Amino acid sequence: MGSTWSVLAPLKGLGEDVYIIGGEPHAASMAGTFPQESREDISAAESAGLGFHSCSYLKLFVGEVVRDKIAIPDGTIKEGYPKPDLIWTTHLCSQHSKWYQEVSRRLGGIPMYPIDMIGGGNAEKDPKIVNYVCDQIEEGIGWLERVTGREFSNELFIKAARNEIKCLVLWGNICALNRHAPAPLDERRLIALFPPAMVDRTTDETVRIYEALFEEVKHMVETGQTVAPDQRFRIVYFGIAHTYGHPEMARILRDAGAEIVASVYTFGTAGNFRGIVNGKWSWDPLDPAWVDELDLSTRRKAITELVKIVLGWPTWQGVRSYWALESMARAMITEYKADGLLLAPSRSCETDFRNGYVGMQRIFKGEIPTVEYDSDQVDVRKMDLPGAQRKTELFVHLMEAHKTRSA
Amino acid sequence: MTKKGSDAIIERFRHITENPPEYAKSLQAKGQLLAGYMCTHVPEEILYAAGIVPVRILSSHVSQAMTRSYMHETYCSFSHDCAYQGLAHNYDFLDLIVTSSSCIHMGEAFNVWVRFAGFQDKSFLIPYPHIIQTKPAAGFMVASFGEFKQFIEKFVKKSVTDEDLERAIRVYNHTRRLLKRLWEFLRSDNPPITGPEVATVTLASQVMDKQECNQMLEQLVQSLEAKPGKGPSGVRLMVTGGACDDLGIFDLIEHLNDRASLIFIDSCTATRYFWFEVPEGKPDKLQALAEGYISRIPCPAKDNVPGTGEKKRFRFIQQFIEDFKPDGVVFLYQRFCSPQPMDVVALKPILDKLGIPSTELELDTTVPVTQFRTQLEALVEIITRVVPLE
Repeated sequence: MGSTWSVLAPLKGLGEDVYIIGGEPHAASMAGTFPQESREDISAAESAGLGFHSCSYLKLFVGEVVRDKIAIPDGTIKEGYPKPDLIWTTHLCSQHSKWYQEVSRRLGGIPMYPIDMIGGGNAEKDPKIVNYVCDQIEEGIGWLERVTGREFSNELFIKAARNEIKCLVLWGNICALNRHAPAPLDERRLIALFPPAMVDRTTDETVRIYEALFEEVKHMVETGQTVAPDQRFRIVYFGIAHTYGHPEMARILRDAGAEIVASVYTFGTAGNFRGIVNGKWSWDPLDPAWVDELDLSTRRKAITELVKIVLGWPTWQGVRSYWALESMARAMITEYKADGLLLAPSRSCETDFRNGYVGMQRIFKGEIPTVEYDSDQVDVRKMDLPGAQRKTELFVHLMEAHKTRSA
Repeated sequence: MTKKGSDAIIERFRHITENPPEYAKSLQAKGQLLAGYMCTHVPEEILYAAGIVPVRILSSHVSQAMTRSYMHETYCSFSHDCAYQGLAHNYDFLDLIVTSSSCIHMGEAFNVWVRFAGFQDKSFLIPYPHIIQTKPAAGFMVASFGEFKQFIEKFVKKSVTDEDLERAIRVYNHTRRLLKRLWEFLRSDNPPITGPEVATVTLASQVMDKQECNQMLEQLVQSLEAKPGKGPSGVRLMVTGGACDDLGIFDLIEHLNDRASLIFIDSCTATRYFWFEVPEGKPDKLQALAEGYISRIPCPAKDNVPGTGEKKRFRFIQQFIEDFKPDGVVFLYQRFCSPQPMDVVALKPILDKLGIPSTELELDTTVPVTQFRTQLEALVEIITRVVPLE
């Protein structure tokens, strides 16, 4: 169990029978599949003492532990929360590792290993940071052996590491195809297609899924196909995937012929790109063939390449670096020929998904139609739906006016 | 009437906490270089060794209207208020602003200064581990402090020698020992100084030149040692939580219907600021600084022992409970703070086991005095009913 923002391949060095419950994907899929249960989970966590303003993914997750049941996306709810053997996670924000401390405590003291991914703009190019994270993972592997009593297999780990890197690179390539007009995929399809890369990107099966998807989307581009034919306005979106829980928001845009064609959340949480090049962000994808040539011949080499790729995730880069976040937005607007920038900070996520965007609205509003409204990833109580709808309508009018003026 | 002895010294400290920019400007008028810092994880010794006085940026307790269009409203009021100090140009005279990567809220307050308050070219962010109890974290801190030292050397255009660092370490350790001595007066049932007074002095020390601060602290401790107690403690209350520079809350604790005494504060504006020492006389000064800062009472945002997920701060809290013998605990934290409530939920069962009642107060820009008073009086009533005071 743990955060899927972690480097996952080390877990696979323990054997092929390791299965992962990832915090955010589990909470997100529960909110989509069982909205009512999710509300009760959040309430249960609050009744058990967790703060009203805490992360709603966290509360939904802990709520299941409190209620001693777990929901599964196939539509079943199982009584009795499954006790994991260990927790392998990261320290992403000030709540993230506290999340699993609380889960561990409530489940009677599950051994846990948090990794400090001290990210932020360009971190993957800073040897001091890369070595620091690598050293923690090396120590973590020793811990995994001690806790499980299993011998760590470098062979299995290296195979999983290459798969993990490959998936992230393939997803970046798939996203990059949305630069075409019309963009082949919309945000809702991207949200639906990225969970395998989040939940377990270390397997051959996941690599095959994304290789096939890449070919399919390339074909869509070549033949001018798209899942959303009316793309009068192309939107760049910065925020967590709240349109998943609130389809009415996506509908307002769609009715006006506006589509989200690029978002830091779907692109950046499970995808890698060139990143900062000569001081500026580039959303150019990395060549998948590059992954096949990577030298992963030793444990340390494999750890190092993995750490560089994970630290290079746009979301890691933006969490603690306002300048990287701004540079990403500027590049995304240009490269994806956006007509508007939609910012939706989440009220219960304290990372870039909340604050960076307030400053960004201030910076971008003079350059491109920009609207910002509050959302929340899974707690519907915190979403001002009518207000957000009004702002979205205003956003469409702004883009229309901007287009008319430019014509 | 003019105050004398310890009261006069405390008054001077209080005056400094009431207007830190005024105090800082008085230092600058004497030619002193000044650096604002936003988090107590900044190794102040490096600045001090270079001849720069570190001045902690604290709140002004004014409306957040100005900061709302720069920072999301769901960031804590302390971070808003510190951001405000930059936007309102209350500290434009500073030579530098520095922080270390700590909680996200204070990081954003720093970003506001850098992006929107004119400090872009005179700022430094020290990368600082978030999980501190590891071997790799110590090495990372040494490297990170080394980069900070280089930046400072370039800024002051001179090298900072090991002797400079050792001197600064000793000055700071002296402050820490004196502050500790001051808090230890509160272990007694009849202390010569009150909790709010000690909190005031501790807060002032965070914005002061430590040489001057040490002189005043020495005089204060000396004078208190000869002074009789101010009267027996009432219900002994310990505060634990996040940054709180609103001294009015501590005064409130001592002015309830029933007699109550503030006897300890576990927060980064009080004991977490200084309850540690940096090893002296070590050959590698940056290594010594890393060791010292790792040994601090951990900030809840950085407290997670790999392997077990233990919160090391709880060990300190239990030790403080043993030493200072509180009758009750007040959880005092900033509204919207992320890590604090996650600690409260785990700390409450420990207090329950120890039979120590507690209450929670959420801080905002201004203090809801009546509500807090009601909650605190209820807590005191619970304590006096369950454990009658002699």
